This record gives sequence, C-alpha cells and structure tokens, in this order.
Amino acid sequence: MRSPFHSEQEAFRSVLLVILALLVIALAAILGPTWLALVVLAVTLGALAARVAQLRMRKLRGAEMPVKMAPPHVGPAAERRVLVVANDTLGEDALLSELERLASVPHTHVLVLAPAVISTGARLTGAVDDLLGQARMRLKTALDRVGHDLVVAGEISQAEPLEAIEDAFATFAPDEVIVSTRWEHAAGGLEPRLAGLVRERFAVPVRHLVFDPGSAAQEPDRDTEARYRREFGEAAARRFGLKALAGVGIVAALAMSMVALIQSREKQEARATSVSAIEQAAPTAPVAKVVSLKVIPEYKVGPEGEKHDAFTTTEFTVRVGQPQELRIDNTDSVPHSITAPGAGVNIVVMPGVHTYTLLVKHAGTFLWFCTFQCDEWAMEHVGYMSGYIIAS
Amino acid sequence: MFSKGSVAQGQAVKLDPQPWRWSHPRVLVEHPDEATGLAIASGLRYAGYAVAVCPGPAGHGRCPLTGPAGCAAAHDADLVVSSLGYEHEAAREVLRELRTRYPDTPLLVEAPADVDTDLRELLDGCHQLPAPASTEQIVTAVQSLAGHAAAEGPTSA
Repeated sequence: MRSPFHSEQEAFRSVLLVILALLVIALAAILGPTWLALVVLAVTLGALAARVAQLRMRKLRGAEMPVKMAPPHVGPAAERRVLVVANDTLGEDALLSELERLASVPHTHVLVLAPAVISTGARLTGAVDDLLGQARMRLKTALDRVGHDLVVAGEISQAEPLEAIEDAFATFAPDEVIVSTRWEHAAGGLEPRLAGLVRERFAVPVRHLVFDPGSAAQEPDRDTEARYRREFGEAAARRFGLKALAGVGIVAALAMSMVALIQSREKQEARATSVSAIEQAAPTAPVAKVVSLKVIPEYKVGPEGEKHDAFTTTEFTVRVGQPQELRIDNTDSVPHSITAPGAGVNIVVMPGVHTYTLLVKHAGTFLWFCTFQCDEWAMEHVGYMSGYIIAS
Repeated sequence: MFSKGSVAQGQAVKLDPQPWRWSHPRVLVEHPDEATGLAIASGLRYAGYAVAVCPGPAGHGRCPLTGPAGCAAAHDADLVVSSLGYEHEAAREVLRELRTRYPDTPLLVEAPADVDTDLRELLDGCHQLPAPASTEQIVTAVQSLAGHAAAEGPTSA
C-alpha cells in the first residue's frame, strides 16, 4: 500500500482526516451516549479499513495505466549501469557467472540489490534484524565469490522489493534491471512476478532470470510472466480479501459487544434507580404476614340487585419477590382460583380452609380473576370473583 | 527547464496513475509499441531527460487524460512526444485533450505525411516529425524544442 506520508501534501491530508475523525468521535462521546461514540468509532474504523482494502486490492491487481518512468542517465554516454535484484538466488553459480560477465564489460557498473523480504508481522514486531543479517550475509558471500578484479557493488534493503528498486532508481539510475528469482515463490525469497512489476513501472529494459538450484538461468516468456502476475495477484487479492473480511468481522463483533455491554449496564442502572425510587416512594407500605379471607357463594349484591359469589378480599398488596401467605376459607363446595397471567400467579382455592403462597416477581398492578365456572357475572367484575394484585 | 502553461498549472488534477519522481526536464513518450517506446526513452535518458512511457489508450481501456481526473504524467511533463498512430479515434481524443488541457506544453507529434483533414486540423500548430521517425531524430527534435522553449522562458500564469 502506498504510504499516506509519501508526500507533504498527502501527510497533511492524512493528519487532517485523522483529526477530523477524532473530533467527530469526541463530539459523539461528549454530546451523546457512549454507544453513539462507539458506533461513530466503528464507522470510522470501517471506512478506514475499506479504504485500506481498496488501495491494497488496487495494488495487488496492478496499475490502472501502465505508465513507465525512468530518471535521466547518469555518467558519461558510454557508461552503462545494471541493477541486479536478487535474494534467495544469490548463491547460484549461474547468477554469479552472469554478474562476472556483466562486470567485465568495459564502462559497466553493476549494483546487486538484495531486498530482505520481511513479512508484515516481522515489520510490526520489529523482528527484522535477523532477516537483514541473513540478506547481508548472503550478499557478502556472493560478492566474495565474484572475481576480485571486477567491481560489483552490493546493497541490502529492508524496504519492500519494489520500493527498494524505486530507491535504487533514485540513487543509482540504472539503464537496465535484472531480476533474479526462482520458478516458484519460496518463503523469504523474491516473488517471480516482481520482474513483471518492475517492467510495468520503469522505462528501462528488464530481464527476468529464473534459476533452478544448480542449473543455468532461464528467461520465462511473456505468457509465463503474465501468468505469474495473474495467479499471484488473484491469490493475494483473495487472501487479503478474506483477512480483511475477518478483520472487519472481528471489529464489528467487538464494537457490537461493547455497545451491548454498555446498553446492558445502562439498563441495569435504570432498573436499580427505578426500584430504588419505588422503595423510597413506599418505604413503609404495610404488608401483612398472613391475609385471611373467604370465598362465599351469593355473598355480595350486584348493581342489578342480585347476589353474586365473591371473595371477601379482592385486592392484594405484595412486595416484589417476597412470598405473601393467604389463608383462604372456601365455603363453596367447588374450587375457585386467583389467576393473574400478567403476574404469573395461579392459585387454585380448594373447598375448606387452606393456606396458599402468593409470589409476584415483577412490579406492577395485575388483574386477577377466577377461572373456574361459577358465577359468570362475578368472574368478570372486580370486587367479586376478580380483583387486583399490586406488587411494588 | 521548459515552460509550463497556465491551464496546466491551474487545473485540479488527481495524481493518477502515478506522479513523476524526478525533477529533471521530463518528457512523456506516448507510443503503442513497448519496445519502440523503451528505445525512445533510452535515447532521451542518455540525452539527460527523465522519461515516462505510456502506450496510450490502445488495449488499456480509457486513458485517464480523457477523463475528468486527468493524467499525472501528462500534467507534469515538460514536453510530450506523441506517436500514437491516430488511425483510431481514441488516439485522436488523447491528442485533442493534450492540446486543450496543456496548450503551453510543447508537443512533438510523429505522424505520417498524408493525413486526413480532421487530423491535419488537429495537428495544426504542433511540432511534427514525419513517421516513421528514428530515435535519434526524436531526441534531436526534443532537444531542439527544449532549447526553443527554454529560450522563450516561462509563460505567464
């Protein structure tokens, strides 16, 4: 990915965007609830991840327009500068022979660039010294084997291979580039598609020398080069896409968990406040240990003048979560009930005197009624075979 | 250094596909053939110019120069060598855009002697080289144009 600090203008733009994003997050945190700040943060991170993914995918798929560039030639007109890019093939005799052949041509300067291929993980953890040391050792060993009467310079780089080559163009201004790789990409080695990328970017002749261990150099044809590029690009884009998707999923899951946690905490606090307020509002509401009542057929006169079945007490005041004992004398010959679906209460009152437990788990006022077929009118009227349970 | 036109400097151009990395006199070479483009680039490099080589619109989709974003290589070039053939309308469109967007950037066009009326009008006022031109001819023409432009000095903004 291209560095956001590649130029002063880009650095300024990047810093400005980061400040703006932080400002929006801070404003959301100050003015709104915490979850809003988290949502803004998640959206910002998501946008950033999407942009990074877009740039990365673009890079993996290659330049949009293949404009090649090159600096002016440096030195006398007769001078020729050759940049040889190699890493894992530096020990190959065939490559060293090629170096000797190049260096023996009059007025030819040869620079061997050995980019230390460093993984992103190693870059992040700073564990690059070993890899640089290996590259340095490999380069030194190779140059020591080149004839001592020949001048071949060497350079290692911890930049990505293409960036290292770009740097070499700025300092060495090569007239030709030779990229040396294996047929297949090995860990710590240069990718075979590198030659294609260099050819696509720089306006100088580029040769790709491919080595099998111990054998002579071969130059892949353009179709093979294109295949390298296509296969690697597609595979890398796929891998990156999956990684990006996993990353976005993890970030989204974390953000959602945090939002849920905060919402849960806010609900708990609100509930605690509510219960506290209820307790403060009715701190001394008396609740009898045992409430005694009766169920009597044709006990109470209705507005139409007829007598109806009725409980002698139809309103029960209880504390949430605290059992309340009811001592009920059912004088009828059939069972009745105190049924309040909203409170989760269903007490079947059998004939005779029995003690029952009334337990309500939620605060509120709940309608109860008798579900047994008795006096239909009384079953539908509060104060007869129906009433309220008030839980606080 | 060559002069740069006020139109070129004044336009907001997105740096795409890639900006120039070198501050030397910069020459953009437009040539559809890769090997010939590289040969011209090599000649120009040895003459002291930084070069960019673009194959033009043929086979590479739409040229950014003909879109709203523009082309960084053309935008910051001090001189353009255009050898796109011009049989196709897409190549003429690139030439048209170059002349419209950067009227003060010296433009050296390699074109056949017998061209149709439309192309003749389009080429009117351009520095022309009869096609096919050798690398040496192109380098000499660029040097001549560069000297001419340098003698004239920068145009006013």
